[in-house]
Amino acid sequence: MFQELQRGLPKLPTLRAYREMTPLKRREMREGLLFISPWLVGFLIFTLLPMVASLIFSFLDLKITDGITSAPKFAGLDNYVQLFQDPQIWSLQSGTRGSLWITIFFGIIALPVGIFLPLGIALLMNNRHLKGQMAFRSAFYMPYIIPFVAAVFLWGGMLNPETGWINRALMALGMPRESVPNWANDINWVYPTYVIMGIWGIGNAMLIFLAGLQGVPTELYDAAKVDGANAWQSFRKITFPMISPVVFYILVLSVVGLFQFFLIPLVVNQGTGRPGGATMFFNLYLYKTFFTFQNMSYGATMAWLLFFLIMIVTVFLFGTARYWVYYAGERRS
Amino acid sequence: MRNKRLFSLLALLLIGSMLLAACGAPAEPAPAATEAPAAVEEPAAAEEPAAVEEPAVVEEPTAAPAEEEPTAVPEPEAAAETEATLTPEEEDAAAVAAAAAASAEAMKAAEAAGKIPVRWFVGLGTGTDPQQVAIQEEVVADFNASQDAIQLILEIVPYDSGRDTLATQIASGAGPDIVGPVGWGGSNAFYGQWLDLTSYIEESGFDTTIFDPALVDSYQTEEGQVGLPFAVFPSATYYIPAYFDEVGLEYPPQNYGDKYMLDGEEVDWNWETFTEVAKRLTIDINGYNSTEEGFDPAQIVQVGYSPQWQTHPNYIGSYIAGAAKIFEGEEKGSYVATYPDNWKEALKWTYDGMYGEQPYMATGPMSGAPEFGNGNLFNMGKAAMAITPLWYTCCLGDLRDSGAEFQAGIMPMGADGVVHGRVDADTFRVWKGTKFPAEAFTVLSYLITTAGDKLLPAYGALPAIPEKQEPFFEAKSNDYPFVTPETWEVFKAGLSYPDAPSAEQYTPNWNEAFARGNTMWDLLQNTPPDQLDFDAEWQKYLDDLNVIFNK
Repeated sequence: MFQELQRGLPKLPTLRAYREMTPLKRREMREGLLFISPWLVGFLIFTLLPMVASLIFSFLDLKITDGITSAPKFAGLDNYVQLFQDPQIWSLQSGTRGSLWITIFFGIIALPVGIFLPLGIALLMNNRHLKGQMAFRSAFYMPYIIPFVAAVFLWGGMLNPETGWINRALMALGMPRESVPNWANDINWVYPTYVIMGIWGIGNAMLIFLAGLQGVPTELYDAAKVDGANAWQSFRKITFPMISPVVFYILVLSVVGLFQFFLIPLVVNQGTGRPGGATMFFNLYLYKTFFTFQNMSYGATMAWLLFFLIMIVTVFLFGTARYWVYYAGERRS
Repeated sequence: MRNKRLFSLLALLLIGSMLLAACGAPAEPAPAATEAPAAVEEPAAAEEPAAVEEPAVVEEPTAAPAEEEPTAVPEPEAAAETEATLTPEEEDAAAVAAAAAASAEAMKAAEAAGKIPVRWFVGLGTGTDPQQVAIQEEVVADFNASQDAIQLILEIVPYDSGRDTLATQIASGAGPDIVGPVGWGGSNAFYGQWLDLTSYIEESGFDTTIFDPALVDSYQTEEGQVGLPFAVFPSATYYIPAYFDEVGLEYPPQNYGDKYMLDGEEVDWNWETFTEVAKRLTIDINGYNSTEEGFDPAQIVQVGYSPQWQTHPNYIGSYIAGAAKIFEGEEKGSYVATYPDNWKEALKWTYDGMYGEQPYMATGPMSGAPEFGNGNLFNMGKAAMAITPLWYTCCLGDLRDSGAEFQAGIMPMGADGVVHGRVDADTFRVWKGTKFPAEAFTVLSYLITTAGDKLLPAYGALPAIPEKQEPFFEAKSNDYPFVTPETWEVFKAGLSYPDAPSAEQYTPNWNEAFARGNTMWDLLQNTPPDQLDFDAEWQKYLDDLNVIFNK
C-alpha cells in the first residue's frame, strides 16, 4: 500500500547524486529550491514546528495559564494513558456519549447525505433535458460562496423553534405548537438539524461530481443503449464506475471533515455541548480542552489521536479503493 | 549572468521580507477576540448573569482618595479610551477588539504621561452590561483624576469569551493587573494565578477591620490572602405574592424559624412543603394546577419554581442537601469525587420537578422558549418562586415594569432539619504576574472601598462593609418601591446561612469539572424519562469527574 502511494512521488536526490550532477543541473536544483523556499519556510514554521511542539506537549504536564516562562513538567505517557481511559471520549452510554462516538454517530447520518445528495443533484444538473442548467448550477453553488459562519447564523435563525420561519410554516400548515421540532435544542433533533445546515454547503461537492459526470464518454451510454440497458443499469455499470475516483475523493474529504467537525456546534450551541452533551464533538472537545479547560498537554494528546484516527480511516479507505474505484487506463495485477 | 544574480538577490529579499512579516510581533497585545466563541443569546448559567434590564442606581460621586489631590495632568487619551470601551452589547466580539485596541492606546498614553498603567479586566462575572460599563468608566475617570502616578485602564470582555481571553493573555505573559468582579467560580478557573496580598496589605496599612473577619478569612487559601471582601450575595426564596393570592396560599415565611401555614396546619418551611406549594402554583392553560385531575403538563403557563440559573449540581446539592466537600486526594492521580448521596437525591428532586407526574419546574424546551423569558422565568412572571442569590435583583426590571411585585422569603429547611443557604461573593483579584503589584493593590483597595459606592449598586451587590449595607438597600428600594423592609431583612439574615465549603469550591481541573456539571444539568433538563436512566447518568457523572480531576 505504502509503496503504491510512494510510486508517484518524485525522489529526493542523495548527497552523492548531488555531487555527481552537472553544474547546470545543480544550479537548476538550487533555483528550484529557492523558488519553493517561501512555502518550505512557511511549512516549517507554521505547520511542522507546531506539530512537533504539540507532540512534545503531549508528553508534558502543561496548562495554558502556566505561561510561556514556566518550566513544564515531564509527564511521560500519562496523557496517553489518560486519553485511552477517558469516558468523555470513549463512552458508549446513551445520554452523555463520548465525543468520539458522538462524532461517529453523527457521521452515520451526515456522510451519506453529504455524498449522495450532491451526487443526485449533479445527475440532475447533467441531464440534457434540464432547461436553464447554468441558472440551476449557479443557484446550487451560490450558497457555497457565502461564509459558512454567516450561513450557520442564518440557519440558526430559520430553525429557531419559536421565531424561525420553518416552524412558523409548519404551524401554519396545521402542526400543533407542541409538536413542532425544537431543532438544535432537542437531543433527538439536533443531528438532523446539523445535517440540514450542512446541506447548505454541498454546492462544491455537486460541482466536482458534475465535472466527473461530464468526463464520462458518451459512447459508453450509446453502446449501453444499443445493448438495451435501462437508466439504472447505465448508472450502475457506467456512470458510477467512471466517476468512482470523484466519489472516492469526496468520501475521503468528507470523512476528514467529519472528524474535524467543529463550526456548527460552536456557533449554534455555543460550544457547550448542549443539549445534554450531544454536540460535544471530538474536535470541539479538543478545542475546549485546549483553550477553555486550559489543558494544553491533554489537548495536544487529543490532537494526535485525531491525527492518527484520520490517518487510519484514510488508509483504510485507500485500501478499499482497489475494490470499487476505477481508474481508466489503470493496470491491475 | 548579472540579471540572474539580480534576480536571485530580489528573490532572497522577498523571502527575507516574508519571513520578517511572518515572524514579527503583533502591533499590540490584543485579546484573542476573534477566536472567542460566538455570541450567545442565553444568559450564562454557570455564573451570575450580567445585569440586563435594571438601570444602575448611581449615587453621588464620592470624594476621591483623600490622600492625593487631583492632578493638573490633562488626560485626553484616558477619556478617549474610556469612551472607546463603551461596548453596546457584551456579546459583540467586535467590541472586544475595539476595547483591546483602545486599551493598547491607553497603555501608550499612560507611558507617555509617565504614569504606571494598571489594566482592569472585566469579563469573568458581572460588569459587562453597558450600564455597568458606564459606571465602571466613571470609576476609572475618578481614579485617574485623583492622582498622577497610576493610569487605570478598563478592559471589558464579553462574559462568554472572558475566560478564553484571560487564559490567552496569561499564557502570552500579557495578563491584566486586576481582574474582577469575579466570584469563586471564575477565580477557580484560574487557580494559582492570584497574587498573595498579605505583604501589600501590611505595607500599605490597609485597615481590614472594616470587614467581618470571617469574610476576610474566607479569602485565605493555599495561595495566600488572594482577595479582600467586596460584595456578598445571600440567597432567598423570591416569590410573587399575587400568584399565591390567586390560589389561596400563604406567603413563604420571612423569619428564619417561622412555620408555614398549609391547609390550616402549621408545618415546617422545608423542601417537602416547598414542593407541595410549588405544585399548586404550577398552572396549565386550563387553569388546573399540577396536583389536580386533568392537568396538562404539555401546556403549562406558569411553573411553581424556577431555580433561576442555580442549576449546576453543586448549587442544587448545596441548597437542598447542604454544602459538602466534593473531592478528596492530595495530588494528581489520587483525586476522587466525593459527592454525597443526598446531592444525588437533590438532583433527582429537580428532575422529578420537570418530568415527574406532578411537575413544578420548567423543562429545557419550555424554559428556553421566549414566552418563558429564555430561561429568565421569574422575571417574565412565569414562575411563582425562585431561589437564587441577591444579585438577581439586578435583573427584575421586566417583572416590575409589567406591574407585578415580588418579595422574598426564607430558604427552605433541608431534610436534616437545617437551613442550607448559599452566599455568593464577588471581589477583585490581582494577577500574580503583574509587573506593578503595589500599584495594582492601590487600585484594588480603591475599588473595594471608595469606588464600591458606585460599583456595588451597579452590580446589584450587597456591600461586604456592614455600614454600607443600609444605603445599598435604600438604593434597591428606589428601584423596587414595592419591596418591603422585611424582604431586605430576609437577605441580611441569609448571610448567616453560607455554603461552606462553597458550591463553587476549588476542585482540580475546575473548568472542565464545572462544565461537566452544567452538561449533567442540561441533559436532565432536556431528556424525558423514557430516554434517560437517571442512576446510570449520575454514576457516569461521577466517573467522568474522577477522570477529569486527575487530568
